[in-house]
Amino acid sequence: MVDELSFSYEVGNLMYASHGEPITNCLQCGTCSGTCPAVEFMDHTPRQIIGMIRADLKEEVLASNTYWTCASCFHCTVRCPAEIDVADMMYALKRYSMWKGQFQDGLIGPDFSEAFVKMIVNSGRSFEPLLAATYLPKFSARDIIQEGLIATGLVLKGKMPLLPKKIKGLKKFQQMVRRIIPIGEPS
Amino acid sequence: MSERIGVYVCHCGTNIAGIVDVADVSKWAGEKLADKGVVISRDYKFMCSSLGQELIQKDIKEQKLTRVVVAACSPHLHEKTFRNACKGADLNPYLCELVSIREQDSWVHTDKAAATAKAKAITSGGVARVIHHEALEPLRVPIHPATLVVGGGIAGIQAALEIADAGFRVYLVEREPSIGGHMAQFDKTFPTLDCSACILTPKMVDVGNHPNITLLTWSEVQKVDGYVGNFAVTIKKKPRYIKTEDCNGCGICWEKCPKKVVDNVFEAGMGNRKAVYVPFPQAVPKYPVIDDVNCTYYLKGTCKACEKFCPTNAIDFNQKAEEITVEVGNIILATGYDLFDARRIPQYGYGKLANVFTNLEFERICNAAGPTGGNIVLRDGKTAPKTVGIVHCVGSRDKNYNAYCSAICCMQSLKFAHLVRERTGAEVYNFYIDIRTPSKGYEEFYQRLLEEGTRFVRGKVAEVTNVARVPEEEGKLIIQVEDTLISKQRRIPVDMVILSSGMQARHDSKDVAKLFGISCSADDWYIERHPKLDPVATMTDGIYIAGCAQGPKDIPASVVQGAAAAARVLGKIQQKEISLEPIRATVNEEHCSGCRICNDLCPFNAILFHEETKVSEVNPALCQGCGTCVAACPAGAISGTGFSNEQILSQIDGLLLLNISHAAVPVDN
Amino acid sequence: MKQYAYYPGCSLESLGKSYHISAMEVSGALGVELKEIEDWNCCGATAYFPVDELLAYTLTARNLAKAEKTGLDFVAPCSACYKNAYFTNSYLQKDADLAEHINYALEADNLHVYGTSKVRHLIEVFINDVGLEEIKNKVSNPLKGLRVAPYYGCQILRPRKDHEDVENPQYFEGLLSTIGAEPIEYASKTRCCGGSLIVTNRKAALDMVRILLQDAVNHNADVIATTCPMCNVNLEVYQVQVNREFGTHYSIPVMYFTQLMGLALGIVPGHLGIGKEQVSGASMLAFAQNTKQERNL
Repeated sequence: MVDELSFSYEVGNLMYASHGEPITNCLQCGTCSGTCPAVEFMDHTPRQIIGMIRADLKEEVLASNTYWTCASCFHCTVRCPAEIDVADMMYALKRYSMWKGQFQDGLIGPDFSEAFVKMIVNSGRSFEPLLAATYLPKFSARDIIQEGLIATGLVLKGKMPLLPKKIKGLKKFQQMVRRIIPIGEPS
Repeated sequence: MSERIGVYVCHCGTNIAGIVDVADVSKWAGEKLADKGVVISRDYKFMCSSLGQELIQKDIKEQKLTRVVVAACSPHLHEKTFRNACKGADLNPYLCELVSIREQDSWVHTDKAAATAKAKAITSGGVARVIHHEALEPLRVPIHPATLVVGGGIAGIQAALEIADAGFRVYLVEREPSIGGHMAQFDKTFPTLDCSACILTPKMVDVGNHPNITLLTWSEVQKVDGYVGNFAVTIKKKPRYIKTEDCNGCGICWEKCPKKVVDNVFEAGMGNRKAVYVPFPQAVPKYPVIDDVNCTYYLKGTCKACEKFCPTNAIDFNQKAEEITVEVGNIILATGYDLFDARRIPQYGYGKLANVFTNLEFERICNAAGPTGGNIVLRDGKTAPKTVGIVHCVGSRDKNYNAYCSAICCMQSLKFAHLVRERTGAEVYNFYIDIRTPSKGYEEFYQRLLEEGTRFVRGKVAEVTNVARVPEEEGKLIIQVEDTLISKQRRIPVDMVILSSGMQARHDSKDVAKLFGISCSADDWYIERHPKLDPVATMTDGIYIAGCAQGPKDIPASVVQGAAAAARVLGKIQQKEISLEPIRATVNEEHCSGCRICNDLCPFNAILFHEETKVSEVNPALCQGCGTCVAACPAGAISGTGFSNEQILSQIDGLLLLNISHAAVPVDN
Repeated sequence: MKQYAYYPGCSLESLGKSYHISAMEVSGALGVELKEIEDWNCCGATAYFPVDELLAYTLTARNLAKAEKTGLDFVAPCSACYKNAYFTNSYLQKDADLAEHINYALEADNLHVYGTSKVRHLIEVFINDVGLEEIKNKVSNPLKGLRVAPYYGCQILRPRKDHEDVENPQYFEGLLSTIGAEPIEYASKTRCCGGSLIVTNRKAALDMVRILLQDAVNHNADVIATTCPMCNVNLEVYQVQVNREFGTHYSIPVMYFTQLMGLALGIVPGHLGIGKEQVSGASMLAFAQNTKQERNL
């Protein structure tokens, strides 16, 4: 009997639907990292992350910004010679880190996703201005001003919604969501 | 009246005895199967050992046994051993039955009591069956001393020479105008850096001159009839449009020919040939062929320059294809490989970016007789590269293309690195996942390349692009790759990229296999009889495979396989006669209704239909005893010696003797 | 009239409004009826997968279930919505376990999904169902001389491996040629625009956008054509930011493919949402047909 599940096993469990090969099949060839358009902004390359997962370096992996910098473009997935769904693994790591509440400081991704999920649960549709609250606080003053300018431009051209929308069948929708995850009473 | 049966139950160390109570099974058989004819029942640690076999032989003599049942491992392993043991004691070997209580029992169950009960049932089945066995004699067929070798590459050449040197006739059939295969295209060979043509052409000349080799180039096999020792092969000799009796190989015809054609075969598309041509100067035989698809005479009816200038009047535009049939006893298939098409990986830019080359194209560049006279230059034909990137594993080790490793690309890539360095002094990068240098002198070759200053980057190339992001990249090809040893994505500008494309089975390997009655694997390579212990034989007696047709390998290994196949053939020829297993199907003519359902079902094409008498007949030499026809015949007219209905039904009855229920161990033992 | 269950997606109501307007116009002109799915919800884009996989699929499954009720093909104009719908649908077909879980949730909303719909992207509905021949016949104003950089982006192609040439698709170019424009060949056409990184890691996204813009400009593109509102926003709305960050001076219009198709079909630019951009699309007006096109109502 196994005393403790390996980290790669745990991550594999979170990659439910994609039907790719297990990450333990990785050849460490580097195709994923050679392809990744965002790799310059990652502190570890995708291949390195897989290596770290297999070496059970859980803390280091969760503390990395790599998987939060993944844009889900899936280019790595289609090129991987071992047919591992690398982008899905990045999602699995995001899920793991959200579940444990463990991630690098200063990242916008976790707050953004959480806010997005809450927003949809509360209304069934997305509403951009609400999401701004998640990232603006982390921006520099200069960036906040620029963002404001862009937003104004969009409003003037009628491309920024000013009022949030709600779907009609919201109550039933929320009951549907409750059957997947417990959400308590909506705010 | 009743048979005298000996039962031997093997411990196989702990393989069987660890799960099955072998002594119990033996005791049970002796007691409970006595009324079936069992007169003696023993168990022993290793039945297959000499002592174990002697045990059986002693009993046969002393107990006057008429049947033997051994309960041990799978017949695949030791059926022959025990049959021979019986033969040694003058009991017909086919009166011995080996039942598996290892692969079918002890190796697949953990419940000891249930496994022991199952072993008893299996043994009981064996006993019930063996009573119905008949004494059979193997078929003896004569072996025709001639051999057919298909494919004139290095493996085929080696095989042909070995057999011909031993004094027997060989028909060597080659699809191209000359023998030589892919090896003739290379420049230098690893790890010795021997000039490929220099070591190949002496063998080619030997083949061309050999009195025992009938060389049939520009020919293809059309049909194969018969069976081991007695094949009748129909070969189509495509028209060369040259009268070989008159041609002296002077070369005036191709010199004068005005029609240039891109040579996609030998020059890998890098150079031209004429419409009348020999593929390369050292061609064997020396006779050219006319390419009737591109020749002006066949397209428009004009020109005929070759005919005008030929000093011996050897051109014959009206020459027709000729079909000949040869009789041979054995066949060796050495049909080689095709290159993986690098266009299937668009991100490497082959076909779009001019200075991306495949390995075969680069071989032609390096070759002194090639399109650039041996100068390593870019597509423009004149600029020497200052930096070269060599990409390993193109189309290999990749589940998106071919999952296997192509065995030779690492060495080939190292060889290229050396040649580039030596001839141009350019900076060389090799991009690899692993460096695979297993054979003699190979690792040392890698060390040499390290000493020469080759820059190795461990990473599978993600993209080759011409989109520059910084000034240093302008006008270059940029290789984008993760340097995994430093965990950084790098963009390395080079002038020339060489893709080490992998090997694949020939595009028509499945068709060829079908023609000869053998099979292909999932990757379309021909399948050998056993991957470890019998790599040159196939499941079809008399057909052997050698060289890359069996899977990617280097030249030494191809030569070895060619020689091995030749040795097997010579062994058969030398025996003059071979015996075939008598486990065959036979058609009872009286019961055959002529429905012919069996004809097409036979995987070995062993069933003939007689039009006059309207009955089918099984050719015992081709039949492998698979039983498909026996099962399919609606009239039950086909029976198998060694697996008759009687035998099988009795075995089932024997198996059910114990009535093992789902729950647990049977009550009465 | 070919009918489809139309799933606009959240972006098309706001940031991608021009896409919605032009899609409606073009469909009308080509005999395609896009019937909006009743009371659809957000598909979750890429923001749900970091939180809960099952919930992400369930959100899309609700929309699929509604489409199934109509018996029509599910059509999404946004590549991210398309990718979510396509894969949710395909997993529902392959994985009975997953389907059971999702349907248990949908039951609370009186819905059940069978995975029987076909999921399509709007562009390939035009290419495959209407057909390039038919489109060519209806083109009254071929966009001669307009050099267009077809931007596929990621999710319209990947992670599917079973279709087209994922590394070097050509169907968008085919469509652009059909409407008389000149598609340019450039290597970055399937490279990621950054997607949601524009929010979560702006520096990374801006760098990715810059590479795309530079490649298009290097090949003398007059306009970049997109098939996804997120790509369009990243390439167009944030061009100013890219210039500030890198000191570049890009000013290349970014249009939805439906806007270009609309111009070729003779529809008035104002009806296609042209003029509502941050990077001015004024240069497109030169390619509009001079006579006004009556709107089909």
